Amino acid sequence: MNEFLSWSELGFLGKALINLGFTSALLGMMTAAFASLQRPPLSKGVWAVSTKAFWGLQLASVVGASAVLLVLIANHQFQYYYVWNYTSLDLPMEYLLSAFYGGQEGSFLLWILMSSLLGLGLMAWTRAPYRWPVMSVMGFTQVFLLSMLLGWSFSDGVLLGASPFRTLLEEMPNAPFLQANPDFVPADGRGLNDLLKSPWMMIHPPALFVGFAMMTAPFAFAIASLWTRTYHEWVRPALPWTLSANVFLLTAIFLGGYWAYETLSFGGFWAWDPVENASLVPWLIGTAGIHTMIIQKKSSRAHSASLFFAIFAYVLIIYETFLTRSGVLANASVHSFVDLGLYNQLLAFMIAITALGFGFYFWRYRDLPKPKKESSLLSREVLTFTGSMLLLVLCLVIILETSSPIIGRLFYDNPTPPDIQFYNDWSGPLALVMGVLTVIGQMVFWQRHSWVSLGTGLLLPTIATTVITAISAIMGQVNDLYSITFFWVGWFTVIGNGWVMGSLLIKKPALIGGTVTHIGFGVLLIGILASSKYSTFMVPPVTESFNARVAAGEAFDEDGFPITTQIESFELQRNQPKVIDQQYMVTYEGYELKDTPRPGTQVYTLTFQPLDGRESFTLSPEVYPMSSTAETDRVDWSVDPDILTGWMSDIYLFVGGSALVERSNEQIAAQATMNEAAMSRTVSGQSSGASSAGAQAAPTDSIAVVSLLPNNPVQAGPYQFTFSGYEPAQEDEVPENTQVAIRANIQVTHMPTGRSYEVVPLFAVFIDEGENFTYSPSLRIEEWGLDVQFSSIVPNDESIEITVAGLNEFIEEDWIYLTVEKKPFVSAVWLGTFLLMGGFSISIFRHWGRDTQAKKSKHTSDSSPQPLVA
Amino acid sequence: MKIKVLLGVAAIIVFTSLVFYNFGNSISTYVDFEGAQGMKGAHVVGTWDDTQEVYFNRETMQFSFWMTDETGNKRKILYPRPKPNNFEQATQIVVIGEYRGDTDVFVANDMLMKCPSKYNDPNAFEMQEASS
Repeated sequence: MNEFLSWSELGFLGKALINLGFTSALLGMMTAAFASLQRPPLSKGVWAVSTKAFWGLQLASVVGASAVLLVLIANHQFQYYYVWNYTSLDLPMEYLLSAFYGGQEGSFLLWILMSSLLGLGLMAWTRAPYRWPVMSVMGFTQVFLLSMLLGWSFSDGVLLGASPFRTLLEEMPNAPFLQANPDFVPADGRGLNDLLKSPWMMIHPPALFVGFAMMTAPFAFAIASLWTRTYHEWVRPALPWTLSANVFLLTAIFLGGYWAYETLSFGGFWAWDPVENASLVPWLIGTAGIHTMIIQKKSSRAHSASLFFAIFAYVLIIYETFLTRSGVLANASVHSFVDLGLYNQLLAFMIAITALGFGFYFWRYRDLPKPKKESSLLSREVLTFTGSMLLLVLCLVIILETSSPIIGRLFYDNPTPPDIQFYNDWSGPLALVMGVLTVIGQMVFWQRHSWVSLGTGLLLPTIATTVITAISAIMGQVNDLYSITFFWVGWFTVIGNGWVMGSLLIKKPALIGGTVTHIGFGVLLIGILASSKYSTFMVPPVTESFNARVAAGEAFDEDGFPITTQIESFELQRNQPKVIDQQYMVTYEGYELKDTPRPGTQVYTLTFQPLDGRESFTLSPEVYPMSSTAETDRVDWSVDPDILTGWMSDIYLFVGGSALVERSNEQIAAQATMNEAAMSRTVSGQSSGASSAGAQAAPTDSIAVVSLLPNNPVQAGPYQFTFSGYEPAQEDEVPENTQVAIRANIQVTHMPTGRSYEVVPLFAVFIDEGENFTYSPSLRIEEWGLDVQFSSIVPNDESIEITVAGLNEFIEEDWIYLTVEKKPFVSAVWLGTFLLMGGFSISIFRHWGRDTQAKKSKHTSDSSPQPLVA
Repeated sequence: MKIKVLLGVAAIIVFTSLVFYNFGNSISTYVDFEGAQGMKGAHVVGTWDDTQEVYFNRETMQFSFWMTDETGNKRKILYPRPKPNNFEQATQIVVIGEYRGDTDVFVANDMLMKCPSKYNDPNAFEMQEASS
């Protein structure tokens, strides 16, 4: 065990560290505020020094508390509620690490840790006059975040925060088993949610919280700028942080989307789920802020917009945190957090941040610099600004929808979640306008243009776009106007920005960040529409023609009503291939059971044989029982799709049901009834053994007696039996006193697959105590679950009789329902995302470099700037 | 300048009302089977009635079952996909769809299931009941 501290002392240490962190954040916030108010600002004054000390203490406490939690998790200390609730003994090390942030408390701790580290960086690299105001704002946010983990309970039942170090006893003091034995430690924990057992989910939360933490920086700089009334300079240090925050948020969004695509079975990477929106919305506003900050740097305009976006991005992070963590969305989202009773605290945080940010903003609003003269419509300022406004509009629409559980009450008492179509109806057209604007904006950004010269400059890209759109529309059989427009804009964005990038590459390659980002946006547009609207279900020809009838309104059900929904899935028997999409012969080869990382996982093997002679490939979708919800008498099944990724299209499939799953369910149900029966028998004190025989016997319709004449095939069930002759039996195979012993040569063919087996069952007659007995053990064909017994010889007509059991077994036993989708150009979605990340990263280096150069020439800095290297 | 401000305000008003109009249409309220009469895309909340027949048509891949809504009305539901894996475990089912013609059969184009999750039920301790 532990040499220095007992496990209970370690938990106490964790709580103490959280309290210490909270206190030092509070004190640091105040000393930083005093340091900011000091005139002239000093870098070595008492307030400055104590701010540094308090921040250091806070960071040390937070690192310490995180280490304690990690140690408790790694050592399976199930007396702690958090450890018990989110981990179990069978978790491998990497998922124990995921479990650290698998729950609300731990994810808050991760966020705090990231913010604490960020604060250290800000303190080292930020200069006067922003340094101490920024640290004061950072302290302010840390105070609120740390308060979520305090776990203080007051006498009147009011709770402040939920500690990750609370014990089971503290969590449920009234539980009878804990009252009986307060030292009770469960043998095992409840384990990590199975959906989170994915490598993508190990890195998604850290990326997200680095993004959240970094988004505090522009907020802090904006407040510092309003505080010190220095409205021009703050964007220089704030811009690289905003760009970095955006890269991390985008990475998190990408990881989340990829995880959803390959783990969940809704068949896509984006579902406009509130939790997804929570990461998208701050990203959109961060992007809008980046645009206005760039104008402010270049043209000394848009000060008020830059401040607004810097504040709004962080306000939105807190607002979305409130929505997803307070329990407001419990019914609207598939993956919102457990309600920990932090509603009031989160609400207070949100109100405080909004009041501080926008309060300051409107207080200083009249003081903000205003442009002296209007920009022309075709200036980079106006175009870039318009881009930001469109991002804002898109963001507002998404916020409205995400808030529908609250705002929907204006319309209905009990509102349903919004129709996904609403998002698509608004985001699509807005994205189209943005796409066109990026090209004109980039043209004008690097070169002064008149309307005429712009028109001339756009001529070639427009022609190229139109040609390529026409070709791709014909090849992809795209024939509705909206899609054609959408693809045109996508290509225009790629080609137009590529055009600009080409000329920049010749002149000054360091400047291509913006064009790369915008090309990425265009690629993303193409990928999103192609992969969602043109995704098709791959089904057998029978279903294809049925679906064609449905589409034509000519399909009717038994009662004569028109069927309006096309069939998306099909049944596949084991070893009975079907052709799907007129392209692949798909065979279900069977299943395997495996226990890592999820116990009881069924891995189905499916072989795809392309009809055009390309190499065949195998996909292995899984079905597994969710251990997070498992109980003895029932099981929740979850599906894990498999994907074949390709440049042109992905093949995405999952098993929607199978004989195996049904059988497991029946077994579980039978087990439950048997347990009940066993229990009632014990209670009544009676015992009966009569019913067990019947339960063991196979269903009668699967047993048949078949008479076979030599070389005369006979059919039974899906099989054909051919008796081709006798074979002598060896002496050592038969009982003593055997009179006759002979084997029959029988060929069994499974007709649907054409596979056959030879069986040679034995028939023997022996004498025991003067009586004749027959001995004829049955032989089993394992693959089909078929038993063949040579049951008698008919002397008169040379025929024999065999008894076969399990005729229907094979048919009943192994089938799956398979849903296969072909999704074109999902690759473009990922490629577009990577280009966005790459473009932003190029810009980070450029702006960070320019920022430090500019400062070196102007100020004698009190700490040496270092390049931002992740 | 004045004209620009006016145009801006007008644009904001038009935009906002359009968004809200559209938003109002995209949401609706949960109803029972009575209320779903004549509606398209009605959301009905209820539970599976396991005393009635559950049937899956392998030809048309249609799954049918009976559901009891919150006010106790029972209807037959047609769902055009295989039975969801967690169907039996769901404590609550939301069917989204409409009646088929003027029959009592409800066609669920979409179906959501609310399954009990231990994470949302912090007081359940394996087999033992814990009260707090």
